[in-house]
Amino acid sequence: MIEFIFLLPIATGLTALVLPVNLGRILLLITALLHLQLTIMTWLGKLSPAFTNYFNSTPEGLLILTVTSFIFVCISVYSYSYMQETEMGNKPVFICCMLLFLGTMSMVTLSDHPIVLWIAIEATTLVSAPLIFIHRSKESLEATWKYVLICSVGIALALLGYFFITLAMDIGNIDAPMTFSSLNTVASQLDPLWLKVGFVFVVIGFGTKMGLAPMHTWLPDAHSQAPSPASALLSGALLNCAFLGIYKTHVLMSVAGLGEFSSNILIGFGLLSMLVGAIFIIGQPDYKRMLAYSSIKNMGIIAFGVGVGGFALYGAFLHIIHHSLLKSSLFLSAGNILLGFGTKQVQRIGGIINHLPRTFISFFAGFIGISGLPPFGMFISEVVIIIGAFQEHRYLSVTFFLLALTLVGAGIGRIFMSMSYGETTDKLEVEETTLRLLPSYALLLASVGLCIWMPDIVYTTILNSIKIIGGTIHG
Amino acid sequence: MSNITECILVFILLSVLVSLGSTRLIALVKIMALQGIMVSLTPLFLKGHESLGSGAIIFFQLMILIKGLLIPGLLFMAVKRIAIKRDIEPFIGYHASILAGLAMLIFSVFITSHLRLSLPAGHDMVLITAITTMAAGFFLMMARSKAITQVIGYLMLENGIYLIGTALTKHSHTLYVVEFGVLLDLLVGVMIMGIILHNINSAFDDVDTTLLRRLKD
Repeated sequence: MIEFIFLLPIATGLTALVLPVNLGRILLLITALLHLQLTIMTWLGKLSPAFTNYFNSTPEGLLILTVTSFIFVCISVYSYSYMQETEMGNKPVFICCMLLFLGTMSMVTLSDHPIVLWIAIEATTLVSAPLIFIHRSKESLEATWKYVLICSVGIALALLGYFFITLAMDIGNIDAPMTFSSLNTVASQLDPLWLKVGFVFVVIGFGTKMGLAPMHTWLPDAHSQAPSPASALLSGALLNCAFLGIYKTHVLMSVAGLGEFSSNILIGFGLLSMLVGAIFIIGQPDYKRMLAYSSIKNMGIIAFGVGVGGFALYGAFLHIIHHSLLKSSLFLSAGNILLGFGTKQVQRIGGIINHLPRTFISFFAGFIGISGLPPFGMFISEVVIIIGAFQEHRYLSVTFFLLALTLVGAGIGRIFMSMSYGETTDKLEVEETTLRLLPSYALLLASVGLCIWMPDIVYTTILNSIKIIGGTIHG
Repeated sequence: MSNITECILVFILLSVLVSLGSTRLIALVKIMALQGIMVSLTPLFLKGHESLGSGAIIFFQLMILIKGLLIPGLLFMAVKRIAIKRDIEPFIGYHASILAGLAMLIFSVFITSHLRLSLPAGHDMVLITAITTMAAGFFLMMARSKAITQVIGYLMLENGIYLIGTALTKHSHTLYVVEFGVLLDLLVGVMIMGIILHNINSAFDDVDTTLLRRLKD
């Protein structure tokens, strides 16, 4: 039963509510490892879906599930130590919501029915809201309120979009089960007008959740106010899940012969998000917000890559993997810095290299990676997307793309330099510990490792996810 | 059956207009309860839905329970706890809001007649009501400053979307399990919003969203 992958974390999450905190922390670790094991079993084909009308393992879903599962293992190790060091409103709720969050995100990756996908994505919003609110400050309240309201309204529009797609089915007189896999086989019979309208609503709806500009306004607030393990999960895993909703609908559009329409919409949103992210990074006074805007920019890159298609589509999938690894590593390092210095203001932090030397290594490596420099994977994925865009003759878009990348590099670089070196400040509040460093190292190493040697099975899975809409690696 | 359907739709439209003009929050919650029940009843009286299985009957009962009783109950508790009676100082005044509501109604009639959809008889009225309800929900969220009115606006938007779902699609591929999931999400959503509302109230001594201006670039 493939459904165990999301039922397990949901069950253990609810159990954690009644357990003492110390047991709950161990349960978090165990569940994370079991989840990874179940994910690997799915790769090996040991699990098959029990409710094929609702759930199925698709290559793209499996890829995002694996990334989520791996990140969650690292984050659970980090949380184990993090929860000892910090004051939280309610620790059992934190553990419970982390596990439920994992469960609902796994459900997103496995669902095949559009409305079930919608339910799962809305559920991720609801279970992650208490995570943002866990510190109970006025700022976190505001962030949570914006997050819940903006995302709920946005996602409601996606539901409307799926109703329109159902209407497109009715007009085309299609009598097939309403799953993405069966819709793809009869896509040409769908009514094109309503399919287009549906797609626009789905992009606006899930784009809100994915952080595409101009619907991104909740994202910097939520990511900066959430505790660092939760920010890492929000940025590294949740945004991918929302992307999956858009991608599956995009595939449906392409199979129905409306690929050009949906591609252009994705390219437009992608470029806009990249520019917005880049502009707000420059001169950003808060380093967690800076990382959040960098996520917006990277989601823009992914949307752009998918929109361009062909070779760039392959780059977009690489970018998803490497962005998740690097960004969650960076958020975890930022968590160490926040614990150490007790502030999110760039100006009040200096001399990380002296105070937190081991965090400095992961922070700096993350900076190299997120700026798109070798040896980290984002270098490869960005180059692939640029080459892909040249092959599709989108010269103007590439110009914007490069402009945004340069701006981001400059903006991030200035912030990192002033934080890493600069003047030394007061005494540290919390020292760094090995348990809170290993996860960020592991994530960074995974990104480097995937550049040097990508297992054949990952390679073929990416190809399987993109070949239906003409993605290749041969240009 | 179309007479009953039309009566229900008129009730929904009236509830939308009254909610746009109502100043007292308790009254607003009561209107939402009525609207929730009416919206859940609509599909029962639409043509083509006569052959209802036992699963469907249980589903509609649950839906009336959740939309008509549980969610308004949660809202009612929230209003009682935060102890505000009315939403004074709206961004857009009450009379202007009602006028805007009428404009939305005309606009949705205009859209529906221009779409030229091949809808079954009676369903175009549902579509008109649905679009008006959705637009009014958006309007409430933007035109009122209290956080609780924004939750009510969100609920109204959901009601409109649900009506569009019933008006436009045949029920042959609707699976009640799936719709129940949507409903459950809505319920939990309102519950979480209620908890945040309570916290906003105790942190800021008010639920005015204009106070939520701390985070910005």
